[in-house]
Amino acid sequence: MKLRLLASTPSVEKLIAIAMLTTTSGAAPSNLYHRLSANPEKVAEIVARLELQHGSIIEHNRLNWLLEAKEGEVLKILLANRFFTFTRFGSNQWLVSANLRAVVEYSTEGDEFGSLLLESIKQKLPFVYSFGRRGQ
Amino acid sequence: MKVELLAHTSSAELISALPVSEVPLKDFLAHLSFTFAIEGISRACSHQLVRHRVASFSQQSQRYIHVKRLQEHVVTPPTVAEKGKNVFDSFIVEASYTYAELVVGGVPREDARFVLPNATETSLLMTMDGGSLMHFFGLRLCNRAQWEIRAMAEEIFQHVKEAEPSLFETAGPYCVQLGKCPEGRFSCGKIVEMKTKYLP
Repeated sequence: MKLRLLASTPSVEKLIAIAMLTTTSGAAPSNLYHRLSANPEKVAEIVARLELQHGSIIEHNRLNWLLEAKEGEVLKILLANRFFTFTRFGSNQWLVSANLRAVVEYSTEGDEFGSLLLESIKQKLPFVYSFGRRGQ
Repeated sequence: MKVELLAHTSSAELISALPVSEVPLKDFLAHLSFTFAIEGISRACSHQLVRHRVASFSQQSQRYIHVKRLQEHVVTPPTVAEKGKNVFDSFIVEASYTYAELVVGGVPREDARFVLPNATETSLLMTMDGGSLMHFFGLRLCNRAQWEIRAMAEEIFQHVKEAEPSLFETAGPYCVQLGKCPEGRFSCGKIVEMKTKYLP
């Protein structure tokens, strides 16, 4: 099995911070977006307080991967988590997408796909990567 | 009401990274997400919105956020403004007073909010994939949709058309997407006008 991150929603960690503050602060989400865009250090500070609980605050994004896997391996993923979307390209090639909640939840499965998912976001989303590692 | 598109998956970025040159539009849309800030809608509207289950919502919590000056933070439907403004406004003042009195009296916000009306303004962050947005437009841009969520759908539609015009070239209410109205005997009968409005 091989997995490669192709694309993602931009500013994922900023969107997590906005979701966190929208639910509890009373500030308008568009104001939060513009304020946090001007103050990236604040994003890291807010996201460091992340607790998963409902999980919805890490759903405001989408990541896209190219997966090389056999049909049986894909079926196992689909049966374990219904929030991954697959499009088939070739016999063993798939476009896969999901949000970070699905990634973090799947990573607890402890299988090869879960490990590959986390490794794929290590560079782009270091905080979420370390958060997911804690859950493994 | 204010709607802003905060972020979305770039279709150009994703297409350029794919090993194939073409993916059917319906399949491709499901891999793209769009995140909106939606502000100043009524709780009545957000109740309808969250029925679109293939989406993510982070909404202002009335457990955590104290509702101040309710009179300044309500959505008044046009028919109410025209035919019942005094009755409506008196009720809002009463609801505001009752809420404040309960909170001052030690009732937690999560319980005091039970007296807040559906007209209370709310704001939220919403993320939908492209396929779910097409379904949302199909239902909520329809002339039969309720006025507030239809106005919101219109704003969202304008934002995604601007961000990804070719992806949403065929978007619109279901009569536009399907070429026929699925509302049966409730049809507004304005399919020609709707096609003129939404198709390029």
